[in-house]
Amino acid sequence: MKKADRVALVCAAALLGVVCLAGRATGQELSAEAKEKATAEARAKRNALAFENNATTIVFFDRAGKRTGGITERAMYGETVVSPDGSRVAVVKNDLPSETADLFIIDIATGASTRLTTSARTEFVMAPVWSPDSSRIAYVTIRKGQEAIYVRPANGQGSEELLYRNPGAFMNLTDWSLDGRFLTYAISDMKGGALFTLPLDGGADRKPTEVFKTDLRVFVPKFSPDGRFLSYIQLDAANRAEVFVRPVDPKAEGGPWQVSDGTFSPGFWRRDGKELYYLARDQAVMVADVGTSPTFSFSKPRVLFRQASKVPDRLAYVTADGERFLALPAPRGPQLQQITIFNRSGEVLQKVGEPALYGGPSFSPDGSRLLVSKTDQQAGKADLWIIDLATGKQTKLTNDTFQKVNPLWSPDGKYIYYASFRNGDFPVHRRASDGTGDEELVYKYESGAFVGLSDISSDGKYLVVDSGGFIMVVPLTGDPASRKGIEFLRTEWTDTLGRLSPDGKFMAYRSDEAQVERGEIYVRPFNAATGQPGDGKWRVSKDGVNAMLHWRADGKEIFFRGQNLESNDLLVVSVELETTPTFKPGSPKVLFKLPGPLNGNLGNISRDGQRFVFAVNVPAATTTESSTPR
Amino acid sequence: MIRRIFGCIVFAVLLLGNGASAHHNMTALFDFNDRVTVTGSLTKIDWRNPHIYLTIDVKNAKGSMENWQGEGPAPSWFRIRDVGKADFEKSIEKTLTLELSRARDKSLSGLIRTITLPDGKVISACPQNC
Repeated sequence: MKKADRVALVCAAALLGVVCLAGRATGQELSAEAKEKATAEARAKRNALAFENNATTIVFFDRAGKRTGGITERAMYGETVVSPDGSRVAVVKNDLPSETADLFIIDIATGASTRLTTSARTEFVMAPVWSPDSSRIAYVTIRKGQEAIYVRPANGQGSEELLYRNPGAFMNLTDWSLDGRFLTYAISDMKGGALFTLPLDGGADRKPTEVFKTDLRVFVPKFSPDGRFLSYIQLDAANRAEVFVRPVDPKAEGGPWQVSDGTFSPGFWRRDGKELYYLARDQAVMVADVGTSPTFSFSKPRVLFRQASKVPDRLAYVTADGERFLALPAPRGPQLQQITIFNRSGEVLQKVGEPALYGGPSFSPDGSRLLVSKTDQQAGKADLWIIDLATGKQTKLTNDTFQKVNPLWSPDGKYIYYASFRNGDFPVHRRASDGTGDEELVYKYESGAFVGLSDISSDGKYLVVDSGGFIMVVPLTGDPASRKGIEFLRTEWTDTLGRLSPDGKFMAYRSDEAQVERGEIYVRPFNAATGQPGDGKWRVSKDGVNAMLHWRADGKEIFFRGQNLESNDLLVVSVELETTPTFKPGSPKVLFKLPGPLNGNLGNISRDGQRFVFAVNVPAATTTESSTPR
Repeated sequence: MIRRIFGCIVFAVLLLGNGASAHHNMTALFDFNDRVTVTGSLTKIDWRNPHIYLTIDVKNAKGSMENWQGEGPAPSWFRIRDVGKADFEKSIEKTLTLELSRARDKSLSGLIRTITLPDGKVISACPQNC
């Protein structure tokens, strides 16, 4: 209810002379105001913590891979684009409280910052590109639903000029030709993409030219210095990205040419048109000798340098002279994760294996094995692995470039179920946990819809998923491709993480019903015959919940991750339960705290509720691997 | 902001597609290059996840009534921005304007870009739906 409406309600009651009703309404007013204030305070704390955890600086590397200074101001940087003269960086800074992003120019030598734009709440600026003489900046905004390209002087003086009003959406503006006559941008969605050039002469009636259209997604076109070619990234159906080059003139012969063998960045041309750079999947900075006359030619790319840390800083831009490489360091420095098992008091019971880039450790139902996600920096991808806790043996389960989310053990421990992002869809598959056999499709929801996999009933009859804030149960019968979910809970609240009790009679879940942006745990009866909730609803938590919702095997205790807006501490919280004659939760108790940031997931706790496994951050050692300059 | 946060990391954009993949594949269902603005009487609200739906009766150029449906962001999207279901409930049978990215099947439906309430207040569903 809005404030004006609440005031109107109180006035109306008073006019009717219903004193007691007025009193109640006033009480509700105060309560609602207190609630609003609490929500605002919680949001401010969340934003402050998010800034603390994500704000970073800017650093530069030279061609030998040595750090050569940077910009020390911490911010939540979006795009970072160095001016052609190398003196300034155009940065987009995200502001969480106002949900905006705005453009700033930072002088590299002095660190002085000039604000260029000020967006209204929830509006933003993106995709800055410099004019070739470094005097102006063009950028994209969406204001009141209208996407457009504007330009303004880079010194902050003078006004904004509209260059082009896009009738559609998803404009990815990425370069300004060296002769100053054209901009280039890509537009891609799930159905494919296209590259465009936009002439800057011709006044307000500028018309873009489509250079190339494809069923695949294409991004970040950049002009060769002579303006005759575009480099760009093309993403294939397996999410593999490559740097390609093709002529700007759609009628010109030749190309496209694939320059990279796996890339994590766009291509960057040197100003003289003789070198092209990109970041390989193994994080090495690559260079290819290139030529553009009479047509495009290129050498086999070679390693220019490789950052010394096992967890490299994220390369974001290469200067026009090819001498400096802008990167954004990880906010807390390079970190790896040590898989660590704790007891109910938070004492370390076991460290498993060596530190690596781990995520989502999860106990098998019998507690003898762990499921983990492990990133292979060399291959540039993350896969699922099984670790035997007795022997330490590790078995690789998947070997692909798909982003896998919410992996879960089947109740009998024989399979691993997971959702993965594949060319715009989130199908659920399963694989045998011993690594044998191929993956099998389990469930496919609506095209493009995210599927959060949260449970499998102990009798194996239902999969529990959430999507877009509502919870479904999917009967695991019939043809997997035709399976349909049953809506268990679909409300105006954001309901997620459905977790069935071991006896299958109750569903616990997280909902923001009590307060927006704050989840609490609720339990409702589950009717296994219909997949629908029964009568009754009980709130189990009281101070906010993040994740890790888990039932003990005997159904007499629920665990979850408590919310802590003041610090990164991970709170492991327990609630004891009675389920007969009726469901009755006890009071939440903090079992132990661990220093964060630390992720929690649905498999952190052994079924007997005695062991807790986390991927604990540890500093990544700097290796002795030297750079390999030319 | 969702689109912006993805946009922070260029490669995240590449791997995740774009901000319009919030729930279902928006670009498969709606044509972002085919915009339509419709004004009419609000007749129905469906205020549930994953998307809210607004239905309005619109008089077409021939004078006959058409029943248009706009799909909007999730209820929580409005809730975070201090716009409630009540704002729409009190607009029932009043004049509302919807700017839509039209459905690719050319049905009388679309993805809501902006809503103009009877009191003139404009609610932009961007960046979620733009």
